[in-house]
Amino acid sequence: MTGLVADIQRFSLHDGPGIRTTVFLKGCNLRCFWCHNPETLLPRPQLQVNTERCIGCGACVEACPHGAHAAGPEGKTFRRDLCRACGACARHCYADGLRLVGRQVTAEQVVAEVAEDAAFYGSEGGITLSGGEPLSQKDFSAAILAGCRAAGIRTAVETNLAYEWERLEALLPLIDLVMFDIKAIEPELHRRGTGTTNVRVLDNARRLARMRLPLIARTPVVPGYNDSVAEVGAIAQFLGTLDGLLRYELLPYHPLGTAKCASLGIEDRAKGLVPPGTACMDRLAAAARAHGLEPRVAGGRRSEDG
Amino acid sequence: MGRLALTYEDRLNLLRETKLRQTREKLAQRGYMDGDDHGCIAVVDGFRFEPVANRADGAFAGFAGWGLNFRRLFEVHPTYVDPVDALAGRWMVHLGSYRAFGWPPELDYPHLREEQERYGIISGIGAAQHFGPDRRIGLTLGWGGLLEKIRRCRAAHGPDKAAFYDAEENVVVGIQAWIRRHVEAIGETASRETRPELQANLREMAEANDWIVSDPPRTLREACQWIAWFHMASRTYNGDGAGDQLDELLRPYYERDIAEGRIDDEDAIFILACLLLNDPQYYQIGGPAPDGRDQTTRISFLILEAAHRMRIPCNLTIRVHDGLDPELYRKGVRHLLEDGKGWPRFSGDKGLTEGFIRAGHSAELARRRIAVGCHWMAIPGIEYTMNDCVKINAAKVFDVAFWDMMGGDPCSLSRAECAGGGEPDVARERAGVRASAEPPSTARLWRLFTDHMRQAVLCTAKGIDFHLAHQKDNHPELLINLLCQGPLEQGLDASDGGVELYNMCVDGSGLATAADSFGALEQRVEQERVLTWDEIAQHMRTDYQAPGGERVRLMMKTAGRYGHGGSLGDAWAVRISRMFTEAVRERPTPGGRAMIPGWFSWSSTIPMGKAVGATPNGRRAGAPISHGANPDPGFRKDGAPTAMAKAIAAIQPGYGNTAPIQLELDPGVARDAEAVEKIGQLIRGHFDLGGTLFNINILDAETLRAAHRNPAAYPDLVVRVTGFTAYFASLSPEFRQLVVDRLIEE
Repeated sequence: MTGLVADIQRFSLHDGPGIRTTVFLKGCNLRCFWCHNPETLLPRPQLQVNTERCIGCGACVEACPHGAHAAGPEGKTFRRDLCRACGACARHCYADGLRLVGRQVTAEQVVAEVAEDAAFYGSEGGITLSGGEPLSQKDFSAAILAGCRAAGIRTAVETNLAYEWERLEALLPLIDLVMFDIKAIEPELHRRGTGTTNVRVLDNARRLARMRLPLIARTPVVPGYNDSVAEVGAIAQFLGTLDGLLRYELLPYHPLGTAKCASLGIEDRAKGLVPPGTACMDRLAAAARAHGLEPRVAGGRRSEDG
Repeated sequence: MGRLALTYEDRLNLLRETKLRQTREKLAQRGYMDGDDHGCIAVVDGFRFEPVANRADGAFAGFAGWGLNFRRLFEVHPTYVDPVDALAGRWMVHLGSYRAFGWPPELDYPHLREEQERYGIISGIGAAQHFGPDRRIGLTLGWGGLLEKIRRCRAAHGPDKAAFYDAEENVVVGIQAWIRRHVEAIGETASRETRPELQANLREMAEANDWIVSDPPRTLREACQWIAWFHMASRTYNGDGAGDQLDELLRPYYERDIAEGRIDDEDAIFILACLLLNDPQYYQIGGPAPDGRDQTTRISFLILEAAHRMRIPCNLTIRVHDGLDPELYRKGVRHLLEDGKGWPRFSGDKGLTEGFIRAGHSAELARRRIAVGCHWMAIPGIEYTMNDCVKINAAKVFDVAFWDMMGGDPCSLSRAECAGGGEPDVARERAGVRASAEPPSTARLWRLFTDHMRQAVLCTAKGIDFHLAHQKDNHPELLINLLCQGPLEQGLDASDGGVELYNMCVDGSGLATAADSFGALEQRVEQERVLTWDEIAQHMRTDYQAPGGERVRLMMKTAGRYGHGGSLGDAWAVRISRMFTEAVRERPTPGGRAMIPGWFSWSSTIPMGKAVGATPNGRRAGAPISHGANPDPGFRKDGAPTAMAKAIAAIQPGYGNTAPIQLELDPGVARDAEAVEKIGQLIRGHFDLGGTLFNINILDAETLRAAHRNPAAYPDLVVRVTGFTAYFASLSPEFRQLVVDRLIEE
């Protein structure tokens, strides 16, 4: 069983309890405009071009079978319309100026890499399957989770809950912890931000809660989108009706996606957004507390008050 | 009248401010200090000391020279009394700085020099201290008891030992005189002091010191003051900073004081804080007693609390074993993350104990062997080790082996020579190519590397023997002898057979440089065939500056790295460490002394690197070699500490000495809600896999960069440099760059 993996990150501290290895699968059924992993959206390999790292050696020009890289009078040029994402150029680029995101690997290979850190997982840590949306490769996800279970590694999944219930239900016996996002309660707001309504998301969340599975809910706080007391309060009110919720996390937007969009040659729909400040996050946390939740504001660098 | 009495917190604040001022004074007086922060003060204005020579060339050496001059120094050494301190005294100078040489010129060793230079060997010849005294001996006898012991032991020997005992007497008498002058100075200070709480403090200080001039300490304060006198004297003598099992050492005094109502925990914490302020010795807390029981007691917690309140550089180590009190462990990790000053460090009992047993010793002895220095392990009072004094530069040995194979002189090319490249044939001629029938290969390079390493180890072993044969005539261990079992009884210096155990610490340096070089060659030249042997050699000769050089340099740098996990670099690192371990362990020195391998570079990565040309891992000529047992930065895109911890656990030599992991963590990690549990798990995981010592810095990249540009604006930024902590502002610019580079891979 093979699948397409964008990245495997060891020592993840923000993707669930304990020390975790996060496996980012490629492919997502949503299109959130603030996504900080835009390289995981498409279910096929993509070439990332970081021109600032180019050392002008010309190896990519020689290697490319499709003429996408060329040396010109003004330096090196890249025609993405000619690029087939075959990866030949990236294999010859040692400056990390070209990177192919998305490699075909077997579930066994993934499990083996995750098992590398077994000594550090303790009673809390393990694998977090993420992406993109892991359920977009449901069979691959199932094989990875089963392999981890067999190896005694605890499993967690980060999902947008936007697929049909049956797809998630089939994997639940293999999952110890589900982490999911609620981006907005207001249906039109949700559609505007992500490309789809939240009917299925909320329904799936209710079903999960009824099954008494350990759950962690999160909201990515995006300035000008859902960073209002009203919206977060409404989300918190909904979450307050769910049993089994371990905690609620507010994740301040961070602009990691901007540079990635540039390298992928795609539009940065979050251009100009500034991370919410501490004062804003405090207000939203208070709004969540007002509905009986004890939210955790995700860490990282403190940004300007806004 | 309306004045509030100074609280302990007030006093600690005052003491800390004083220390920062004294650090600035030291910096102004002597420039950068690329070593530990010490508790010494700047040389007092007008202080003069003229040593008396006992050699024709005007220098002093041996028992007579050191003993007499130590006593004379302390007869004039300034006293130091701070009314807010619980303890008296500060040290100031190294007696050794009054000598023109570290090793007598007539005892030169030309028969060893050529190989020492060729392989980048730091021989340790003439190196002093770097092993552990047993303070319990001194605390039990007191200075008067030690003097009495010296005289009693002298009587059992002939006049041939007279010089030894004269010297030891001089040392003790000198210390006693210095303490007596402090009793007077305390009295003078008290007569001028108006604040009642400080008058009381000075009274107690005077009484305590008056007692311990001759008698063994009775209380916690007296015990801490006694320890402080010993370590101030020992630092002055030769820089000794070895610690001890501090909680167990002080427990009886603490418990008795508490039971008899003399002190409470707040008093105890203050006294302990003052001990840690006096000098940041390497103390261990927690860990197994010889019978395996955990040694954590209440005072272990108070010591951590004292360090927390003191907020200065500190070198506490918690020995992590299965029976360790989980609360002590948690408190230690929490202070590491929240105080962010690089302490405590953590040592791994499993790796250390199993290792020392493998070296042929009992489990009880292995448990008594504690972390008493930068990366040092020693059994207090019975083992002479030369910890951290002997280094073999594995990157240099690699350099020699590579050019042996390719033909040419290692590191014959400085950067200046490299700039501009040159025709390949000319370069080869210059380098003196030797034709060989067997083509180059990693297999052949490995054989050469192994042969050269064995040569290096043998040269090192001879150097150790040479040191042991002559050190007592150069620089005997007069201070540590006093707190050992054997030297006084036998009239023999600790370096000269006076103690029971000799386990000579022999470290390798530059592991990642060598491992990544092998890995890059195997991957790029042999497996992928994107480069030939001649091409890589040529690029190395031209320091990667010739056309196409940068691409090749990056090609080599991005090959499978040690630390990545499952890479060629990882496999080579394990292979190199196993070979090095075998080479060091397979036979004792010619003089019969056992050697124990480790991986550590202390702060010598810069000078060691200057002696090594460009290496196949993409390192430029003269650049620093890799740090200790660490992978080079950039070993994985995600830089995962777990991968690093696993890799370093896999290369442990495993005979009871350490190969520490040095980890820099962003403060964001420390702010995580479950940071204590997660970092605690990281450390435990490393030890479960066989790791021996874990050093962590909590460092913010931005703060570090800013402090590097303007160190004076960050006077209290403390970093764990290698095994030791220091004020960042006190380090040289080159050294600060090293710390910055470790954290931030450009």
